[in-house]
Amino acid sequence: MNTREQSALLLDLAVHLRDNGSWAGETHVQKTAYLLQNLLGVPSGFEFVLYKHGPFSFDLRESLNQMEAERFIGLQEQPYPYGPTIIEGKAASRLRASTDVAQRYVRPLEFLAGHLGRANVADLERIATALYVTLESGISPGARVGRLVELKPHIPVAEAAAAFGKLEEIRVAAFNSGLQPLIGSITLREQLIAAGHPNQ
Amino acid sequence: MAALCHDLGHLPFSHAAEDTLPEKWTHEDLSLAIIRSPEMKVIWKDLKISPEDVGKLAVGSKHYPGRLTDWETLLSEIIIGDAFGADRMDYLLRDSHHAGVSYGRFEHHRLIDTMRILPRQEEEEIVLTLGIEHGGLQSAESLLWARYFMYTQLYFHPVRRVYDFHLKQFLKEWLPGGKFSIDVASHLKLTDAEVLSAIRVAASDPSAAGHEPARRIVRREHFKRIAEITEADRDIDANATERLASELIEKFGRQAVFTDRYTQKGKGIRFPVLTRDGSIEWSIALSDTLKQVPTFTVEYVFVDPLLSEEAKRHVTAFRRQLRDERGEKK
Repeated sequence: MNTREQSALLLDLAVHLRDNGSWAGETHVQKTAYLLQNLLGVPSGFEFVLYKHGPFSFDLRESLNQMEAERFIGLQEQPYPYGPTIIEGKAASRLRASTDVAQRYVRPLEFLAGHLGRANVADLERIATALYVTLESGISPGARVGRLVELKPHIPVAEAAAAFGKLEEIRVAAFNSGLQPLIGSITLREQLIAAGHPNQ
Repeated sequence: MAALCHDLGHLPFSHAAEDTLPEKWTHEDLSLAIIRSPEMKVIWKDLKISPEDVGKLAVGSKHYPGRLTDWETLLSEIIIGDAFGADRMDYLLRDSHHAGVSYGRFEHHRLIDTMRILPRQEEEEIVLTLGIEHGGLQSAESLLWARYFMYTQLYFHPVRRVYDFHLKQFLKEWLPGGKFSIDVASHLKLTDAEVLSAIRVAASDPSAAGHEPARRIVRREHFKRIAEITEADRDIDANATERLASELIEKFGRQAVFTDRYTQKGKGIRFPVLTRDGSIEWSIALSDTLKQVPTFTVEYVFVDPLLSEEAKRHVTAFRRQLRDERGEKK
């Protein structure tokens, strides 16, 4: 995907998220873009690393900076300490006119925004990190909850397990919607047992 | 030490040559490699500090292949942060001084005096970040405007940019494999002086690698800017630059046309400000001036000077066509 296509995809991701009740700040876009790429297989081409609050892409941050500069997006300021909301910029229509990428991927965009539009940044961090752990090589399904807690010690085991549960729910819903998620079943129960979760 | 080492990995002619590093390599990666090199280890041992600690702070989270703690992130921000990083303050003042212009000057003493470590919400937790006391807000404004002026008046002056282009052309032909070595010893052997000397030699020898761009640099026969695509042009055709460039390439050949596009990254206008009543606000909520700092963006098209008159006529026709299209759109 070239830079313009990446920008058009991010623009419509932010717009879909906002339409579905999201704050649509940078973190919301970062985490859902990670899921869009690595769960739903949209080849946006951003490179993600596991950062302090889950998967994060410096490239994506630069893309947003560039998009703001080109007025494809605007930033609606929020009171301190909250970050700004990403809104359509004055030149958004120009970006859309230059590529049909958002049309091509409208289904995964709508699907993800529909499922995660109301998720807050903490939920998104956990779900995105759950996917990151799922995709990590050498981590058996039973060890994933433990691995997530190891990476993010501030996340309680029950909430880490819930994040895998939500990820599985999204994966199944995606599959049932005719999308093709890139990962198979996560076997949640197995993870909860391995993590010593009291409800199991 | 981290601040001093931040730019150790710069190539000859700094950023201008960075495209000639192997893919995914940056000067920060080279800085880190030098910090970790046996040559530097002796120094770290004497100072009783860890090269990894220096490396983390010198290149920051983006380039360090590992996690930084909150305090390391903050210390790194002091060196390389978008808003008040020492690197930024230094290059604006130093470039301004050496270029003989005043655009890059600002009240850095007052700015440094009023910098504060302030809390900021990040996801679910409070993290510490660099901010400023209310009294330093005007100094911060002047820094951010200084940066804008330096970009528009100096760094992206079309003639300065086109010499970067010819330098890169030269390096791609002159360097083995067209790329700079990422081996530390080889990197340290090559400075501006070696490259300048090679340019002079190649300029006078038609059989030398890189003769053509070297000749253009030495004889000042650089490409000429014949068009600057503006926001208004892009409003008519989002791909106006590509379209004009491809028309010119079709007419004059790929070797005769150069397109330069750049958008400033990381404006750094949003930072916490400790107000006089002890509350914290976003800078942008307190400063109308900061809201007005434009993001610098350029799209230039250059051609071989021998073709510039004909190319300018083509640009005139191209603009007429754009205006007609705008009329049709209306």
